[in-house]
Parts: sequence; structure tokens; C-alpha cells
Amino acid sequence: MTEAIPGTRKRQELQKPTNGEPMVVVNQLVKQFGKLQAVNNLSLNIHAGETFGLIGPNGSGKTTLIRMLVGLILPTSGTIHIMNERIPSQKVAAHIGYMTQLSALYLDLTARENMQFFCNVYGLRGKEQKQRIMEMLERVDLADRIDDVVGHFSGGMRQRLSLACALVHHPSLALLDEPTVGVDPELRREFWDYFAQLNKEGVTIIVSTHQLDEATRCARLGLMRNGILIAQDSPQELLRQSGQDNMEEAYLYYASLQEV
Amino acid sequence: MNFARIAALASRIIRQVFRDRRTLVLIFIVPVVIMTLLYLVLTNTSSVHTLAIVSPSGTGSDRINTLITNLLPGKDKVNVTYINANQVNDTLTKGNADAAIIFPPDFTQQVFAGQNPSVQIVLEGSDPNVANAVRDLTGAFTHQLGVAISALKAQQAQTGQGQALPPVLGGSLPFTVSDPQYLHGGPQYTFNDSIAPVFIGIFSFFFVFLLTSIAFLRERSQGTIERVMASPMTRSELVIGYIFGFLLFALVQSLMILLFVIFALRVHYSGNLSLVFLVTALLTIGSINLGIFLSAFAQNEFQIVQFIPLVFGIQIFLSGVFWPIDQLPAILRPISYILPLTYANDALRAVMLKGADLAGIAWELAALLIFMVLMIVLSALTMRRQIA
Repeated sequence: MTEAIPGTRKRQELQKPTNGEPMVVVNQLVKQFGKLQAVNNLSLNIHAGETFGLIGPNGSGKTTLIRMLVGLILPTSGTIHIMNERIPSQKVAAHIGYMTQLSALYLDLTARENMQFFCNVYGLRGKEQKQRIMEMLERVDLADRIDDVVGHFSGGMRQRLSLACALVHHPSLALLDEPTVGVDPELRREFWDYFAQLNKEGVTIIVSTHQLDEATRCARLGLMRNGILIAQDSPQELLRQSGQDNMEEAYLYYASLQEV
Repeated sequence: MNFARIAALASRIIRQVFRDRRTLVLIFIVPVVIMTLLYLVLTNTSSVHTLAIVSPSGTGSDRINTLITNLLPGKDKVNVTYINANQVNDTLTKGNADAAIIFPPDFTQQVFAGQNPSVQIVLEGSDPNVANAVRDLTGAFTHQLGVAISALKAQQAQTGQGQALPPVLGGSLPFTVSDPQYLHGGPQYTFNDSIAPVFIGIFSFFFVFLLTSIAFLRERSQGTIERVMASPMTRSELVIGYIFGFLLFALVQSLMILLFVIFALRVHYSGNLSLVFLVTALLTIGSINLGIFLSAFAQNEFQIVQFIPLVFGIQIFLSGVFWPIDQLPAILRPISYILPLTYANDALRAVMLKGADLAGIAWELAALLIFMVLMIVLSALTMRRQIA
């Protein structure tokens, strides 16, 4: 362990940070795929209980960063700490909810069976499991389709179920990779309202999107371009510093700074 | 290692297989259909076979010869030709008879003197179906003859010496029948004796490979493997979950094939069920991991299908399913000895036909164990590639 992380570390129990404390600490992260530098010397702090938006076009390194945060791929260099634990960590994995870009569901199983599987994998069992599955399915408006096979679901329904699966085990940190793709505007608003409520419950959310209008609903943003974090701050501050009045113009402003 | 997570994965796989009716048909119905077809194709019992008989020639043989003529099946089943002892090889080689039953010249004297003469059966043997049918036929015939001669002896004893001897029914015959000799080939050629057992290995190997590789490919293309690997589940738990899920189907399938082979096809079985399961389990675990390993190199289901000739075609021809390995061209034999099915086939035959015990198939089990471990290592090595 080379990084000195503030706060006490216990071997047995995870120390979950309370609101405002650092939840995710990324230090000089590099990910190289052959010649391609997907993530380039990226450092970043994400605080407990906030929604952090990763903004950038396709191919800017958002998904690669998220997959490193989840522990699916290892960084070429640099470190990630989540809840004061070095990633990859099986202990931390139990407290992370991960929603992939694809809806990532078992199409031959029903909505209930999909959720049961992920509950079982995360150790959520019995009565609590039943309760939680119903609660989540109601939340994403799929309760009446609980015993339908997912293969018959529309894209939006799959996306909703995918979100429900990612959050079913009460994660402390939710990593959501483009959760609102293919979701209609009404439901998208409900998603963001739900994220805000989760924040209040102390859940930290990292959400990637390339829809800049959603960015203002995040507490803080990281703007990414070609694997580089070109700016990170609250949406208001990013707008103010760039002197622009919408996020799209602000993004282009920071992108132009990088080129100089 | 968390067994709850392994159980969660295994039960999910079982549920998915049960959900898919076509897969169930593939696992449980297709083997039965294929084996029935093979049985019908390979077992042709409708033709009339020719038996050559070298009759006993010593004094007093007339009564015995009459018995022989009376006990032989009718012309709709068998043609009979009587030859001399020195004509046996010639007759069989020229194809004038399918089998010869050779009575020693002094058969009659020996039988009535209680000297237990030996009757020899020689099979032409080049056509396994004919050889099989004729062997059954001669076996039944010699048994009937033995019973009849015993009755005759008893009768004679009663009338001659007034000493009552009960007729032998099912007990020891007044003569022995030596194990049939084969001019060509041998008993391993017949469907009943040799092909049926290996199908347990073939079917479980093939279907489990196909199901695992496609299930794993889907897990990757649907992105669910990302989700699973982001959870606390470890890579080894993932592999073990897959093994348990598909092993269940492989074992149930092999039990079903075994029952079908024994009770429907009436194949001779003298083995130990747990050893059959042990062989199947080792082979299947290897096959599951081979499926996981190869799925890493496929982008879609069609590319999995492209692996089938490679994985399966070679093994069908070179693992001794239809042709014994020692009759293969020398160039191909080394290949046979690196194929897992070769060892599974040997072991299954040894257990089911010869009633081999654990020590009897230790060598084959060791080879299968090596195959299994090697495949687990390969699938583990490619696991990272599957995710990234």
C-alpha cells in the first residue's frame, strides 16, 4: 500500500465513509490497451453521498474507468481506493452496485429470477430478498411483469430491470454506465429523482452519460476526453469558470483548453 | 470459496436449461433416438445365416446326429451344411458358412462315458452383426442339445441299468462349449458388446461442451459476466458453479443412457454404476472447461459450431468408438492417445463389459484426470480475456 489514505483502516470490517468523506480516491490512473491510452494519468476524488457524473463522448474512457473502479480490469499504473480499500477487493465488491452499458440480463429467465440470482450472489436471502425484489420492481414500474421472461421485454424495460438488479442489494456505491440510454424522458426524470433520493440515504452514485442535459443533476462532474479528465467540479462552477451558459458549450471550452 | 454463491450460479444454470425445451430434448431425447437408430442400423437380424457342422462320427453317433438335426432352427433362420473337420477354415474363409460347430469324432462315446467332451465354435467374424447373431444362435443351439442329451442319458440309464438320473435342466451340460473363436476380428466388433457403452461418454462430452460454450458465450455477449465478476463472486466460484450446473445434466443423462442401453437395447452390463459416474464426471468436468476455454475464442454461436468438427469429429473417428485403435494406421495412433475420449471409451468398456474395478481402470482415470486439470487451467487462464 503506497498511498496514505486518511482515516482508520480495519482489516475485518469495511469502514464505510459518511456523507462528505472520500468514497473513491483515484490516483494517477493509467490504462493502456496496446498503443491506445484509454485512461491517461487520471486522479479524482468522489465523496460519499454525492452523485458524480462522468461526462464525455463515446470512446473518451468513461467505461474503462468504471470497469477499473469495479475491479473488472486492472490499471496499467496508478491506484484506486474505495472505502479505504485498494481495488480490486472482494470485500468492497459486495458493497458496489454495477449497471453495465448493455442491459446484462438473462433473457431466458423472468424478471424475478434475474433479481433472485443477483440477490443470491450478493448474499441477500429469504424474506428480505423477497421484500427487496418487490420494492425494487415497483420502483422501476415492473411489478406487474415480475414473472415475465426478460427476452420479451422492450429495451427500456430491460434498462429498468438492469438498474433494479444493480441496486437490489443496497450497495453503498452505485456505478451506473449510461443508465438512461434508451429510456424515455419521463422515466429518465424518475431515474434521476431516484438517484437524488439514494444520495439522501447515503448512497454514492457514479454515473456516466454523454447526454449533457443530465449533467446538471449531478453534484459534481468529471469531463473526460481521450482518456484525460479535462475538468472536475460542480456543474455551476464549471459553467461559471468557462463563462458559458450551457454544459455543451462548457465542455467544448474545456476541450479547447486541453488542445492548446 | 463461498458455496452459497456457487449454489446460486449452479441453480441458475439448471433453471435456464429447464426453461429451454429444445435443450432438454437435446440432452435427453436425442441420445436415445440416435442410439436406437444405430442399434437398428448395426444390428441386422433378418437374414438367414449358414452354419457348418462337423458331426460326431464315432460308433453310435446316429442318435446324436438325429438330435442335432431336430434341434437346429428351421430353414427360415438357418441353412446347414455338414462338412469334415479339415474343411472348416476353407468353408468359412470362402464365405460358404458364417460359423462352424465342431464336434469331436468320439463325441458320442465321451458324452455317454461322462467324459465331458468339448464342442468348438468358430465364427467367420468379419461382419460383426452376422457374427453376433450367429454366436447367439449357436449358443442357444448347443444349450438345447446339451439338455436333450442329458435327458437321453437319463432315459438310457433308467432302461439300461435301472438307475434313475434326473434330466439336467439349466444345470451343467454333458459337454462343454469352448469360447467362440473368431477367424477375423473379434467380439469387440459388435454393437452390443462394444459400441453401446462408449455412447455414455460421447453424449455427455459433446452435449456438455456445446451447452457450456454457448452458455458462456451468451454470458459474455449479453454482458452478464461483467455483472457477475463485479460481484463478490470469484473466478474459481464461477467455474465451479458452471461445473456443478452442467455436471448434473451430464450425470442424469448418462444414467438415462445406461438404463436405455441395458433395458431397451438389452446390452450386456456387468459394471459398477459409481465407476461409470466417476468416468463421466471426470470427462464432463474436462469438457465443461474445454467449452469455457474455447468460448473465449468465439464471437458468436456460429463460431462455436465451427469448433465442433475439431473437438468432436476427430474424437469420433480416432478414439476407438467404431474401430479399435490398434487397427488404425500407425500415423494416427499417437493422436488417439492424446484424445480424452480414448480413455473414457476404454474405461467405460472395461467397467460395463468386463466389470472392471477401480484398479482396473486406474490408468484411464489418471489420463482423464490429467485432461480435466489441463482444461481447468486453460479455462482459468482465459477467464481474464473473457471479461476484458
